[in-house]
Amino acid sequence: MIHLKRITKSFGRNEVLKGIDLTIRKGEVVAIVGPSGSGKTTLLRCINYLEKPSDGEISIDEFSVHFKKPHKKDIHALRQKSAMVFQQYNLFRHKTALENVMEGLVVVQKIPKEEARKRSVELLEKVGLGDKLDSYPSQLSGGQQQRVGIARALALNPEVILFDEPTSALDPELVGEVLGVIRKIAKEGITMIIVTHEMAFAQDVANHVVFMEGGVIVEEGPPNVIFNVPKEERTKQFLARYTSESAYSI
Amino acid sequence: MGTPFDIAYVYEYFLKLLPFIRISLLIVFGSIVVGMGVGLLVALPRLYKVPVLQRFSQVYASFFRGTPILIQLFLIYYLLPELLKLVSIDVTKVPVLIFVILAYGLHSGAYFSEGIRAAVSAVDRGQVEAAYAVGMTGYQAFTRIVFPQALAISIPILANLIIATLKDTSLAFTLGVMELTGKAQTLFTVSRHMLESYLALAIVYFILSFFLEKMFNFAERRLLKHEAPIAKEDKVPMGRKWLNRTLDPDIALSKGGAGV
Repeated sequence: MIHLKRITKSFGRNEVLKGIDLTIRKGEVVAIVGPSGSGKTTLLRCINYLEKPSDGEISIDEFSVHFKKPHKKDIHALRQKSAMVFQQYNLFRHKTALENVMEGLVVVQKIPKEEARKRSVELLEKVGLGDKLDSYPSQLSGGQQQRVGIARALALNPEVILFDEPTSALDPELVGEVLGVIRKIAKEGITMIIVTHEMAFAQDVANHVVFMEGGVIVEEGPPNVIFNVPKEERTKQFLARYTSESAYSI
Repeated sequence: MGTPFDIAYVYEYFLKLLPFIRISLLIVFGSIVVGMGVGLLVALPRLYKVPVLQRFSQVYASFFRGTPILIQLFLIYYLLPELLKLVSIDVTKVPVLIFVILAYGLHSGAYFSEGIRAAVSAVDRGQVEAAYAVGMTGYQAFTRIVFPQALAISIPILANLIIATLKDTSLAFTLGVMELTGKAQTLFTVSRHMLESYLALAIVYFILSFFLEKMFNFAERRLLKHEAPIAKEDKVPMGRKWLNRTLDPDIALSKGGAGV
């Protein structure tokens, strides 16, 4: 169970998050959707403190951190409870696919090399890259790099995996393979928070959809409610573009 | 100087110069070690934007990059002991070689600091975030992710600097250090075969630079192997290795040199 309480974040005088409350149950797949600049990515990055929230609190099961004055040790612990998949993959460029996945296990979790290796190979096979273990990121396509990124996140065995627009930087042709992998692991009951612009995918894979705009949560609920019978006018407007063809007529 | 050119002298002088390579290289490597230490110390405040020290670093770098090395040699050899005398530290017994290494070290340190700064900022921020997201501490992220890549990126800069320093050491004779250039000059004062002496000297410097360059090319290839887009399967047969080599400049430019 993850609780976000009154998360706020300002860049200078610009308030990006205006008090976000959100509860995520164990094993739930949450999709955060909304227009650009609505604060979805910032919220996601606040969860593992890559962005420093101005105020608020997060709790993951028994463990909680107050963002007003967080202790360095708590931030470290928070980061170890989560893993992240980035829009730009952010693989370690000087390490092979296998080393990328092993790195966190060996360096952070201090798991013996042989064991870490075994687990990493299994995960890379799971994302369909069993034949690319020794390839460097520069030798992989975007879709393959992102799948390594997913394996790297899975390897850490985190409480929650955060996906930051995992397919936005990909060629349309490669989006499918990455979404396929995410869908596969979603079925395994890993808690995930996904920021995405792929509405069809969100509708299909998420158990809970959050619509954000202007730094607040406008509406949240199960996907069939949000996508088919949204309550708020703004949600209807936003989703109309994805659900009806009329949006393309000028 | 009136004496007819005699190629035999070139060979003779060349052999006589060889033992002095040691001194020149000692100055080069001594000053590189000092320079790297100083360079890192100077680069860090600017990388991490430490308020007052950052300004210090800037002044240091512009001074040592903006004044001739010859002047710096004189200032450090003649002025530094005077200044130290004021706080009653006597350095008159310190060998001149130490001053020379210090001067070259401070000089190259300014360039190192710029190189380190450029190389570290060339490693993209996203990888640092990924390291944090994986759970690494700042120190782990720097030593395991940023530093190895920054090192590879900085190899061409390092190579330039070391070769430049090697050539700069030819000014150390002005303080009376008997290195390559100093020796070359004493050789022809007796025989008056100046041209032969300088020619032999040029050959020695060239050979040294050539080997340093080769060494760094090799290191660069090793350290940047992750950026080579060549798949392992299509290795070129031994006899056609030159084919591989023609690819190198492109790799160095598009990857290693990016953002530097």
